[in-house]
Amino acid sequence: MKDEEWENQELENQLRRAAEIFDPLPSGALQSAIDAYALHTLEAELAELAFDSLERAAGVRGPGRPRLLTFRSPPVTIELEISVSGGTGHIIGRLLPPQPARIEIHGRRPMVLTADPLGRFSGEHLPTGAFSLRCRLPSLVVATEWITI
Amino acid sequence: MEGDAAAWKALVEGLSPLVWSVVRAHRLNEADGLEVYQTAWFRLAQHLRRIREPDRVAAWLASTTRHECLKVLKAARPLPLSDNPQVFDRLSDEPTPEEAVIESEEAALDRERLHRLWQAFHELGERCQRLLRLLMASPPPSYLEVAAALGLAVGSIGPIRQRCLRQLRTLLAERGVR
Repeated sequence: MKDEEWENQELENQLRRAAEIFDPLPSGALQSAIDAYALHTLEAELAELAFDSLERAAGVRGPGRPRLLTFRSPPVTIELEISVSGGTGHIIGRLLPPQPARIEIHGRRPMVLTADPLGRFSGEHLPTGAFSLRCRLPSLVVATEWITI
Repeated sequence: MEGDAAAWKALVEGLSPLVWSVVRAHRLNEADGLEVYQTAWFRLAQHLRRIREPDRVAAWLASTTRHECLKVLKAARPLPLSDNPQVFDRLSDEPTPEEAVIESEEAALDRERLHRLWQAFHELGERCQRLLRLLMASPPPSYLEVAAALGLAVGSIGPIRQRCLRQLRTLLAERGVR
């Protein structure tokens, strides 16, 4: 009788081959990840995800309930409220301290919003998927961590 | 900078199978899985300068991918997820390059056997499918990475793996797949 661990590894090797055939990485995925490096070289201050209502609200979820996100960086805090319905998102945000800014949304479909002097901005038809906000302030650019909505 | 870009490309190529396996271990469909895959890599690019231990990058990616998967699942968007193995069955799709390579006559039997193995795998319980799908990453992930990807204790992985592979062998034996 063969050693069971040897059989285990054989079976895993076969499963690995099966996954490569029946469940491969989608084409184009690799290139999108390679391209992410170009974004990294763009100089921007990183605003880290400090709060995500999805992490907190066990049982409080579902369509129609907005997702609340807070991203913090030393110069600015970005608060977002995102409601997803019908495959697109409605986004309401504000900058703290309040200030005007150009807000670029990097994602499947790039969008540009404008924060008013009170730091408020909003946008419709945000495509779901991976996205990051870049806030262009007079003296610097702040980029949020990427998240999936 | 050229060297850095090349190193990044090598990193992406080396660890993409792991990230994709984490995504599929959590049973995200292809569209959502792709978004999570991208989020994980974009986020790593942002954090690259801060990661002090290069040999922890795989575990960092595995853990980040897991958390994004859980959030996407929790957001309760309508996900065409199902326990139905047909969802994952791509036999009717266009052949991938990997498939084309083994389309030859003499490989047809081998392919049929792998397909039956793939079907049997989808009959396992959720816990087993999750672990085994992750272990299918190429190269095989370390138990540390598996633990990060699934939120399991490192010590529990060996016994679960053993049990799941036994179950799979039993299923294959019942179906006469050798």
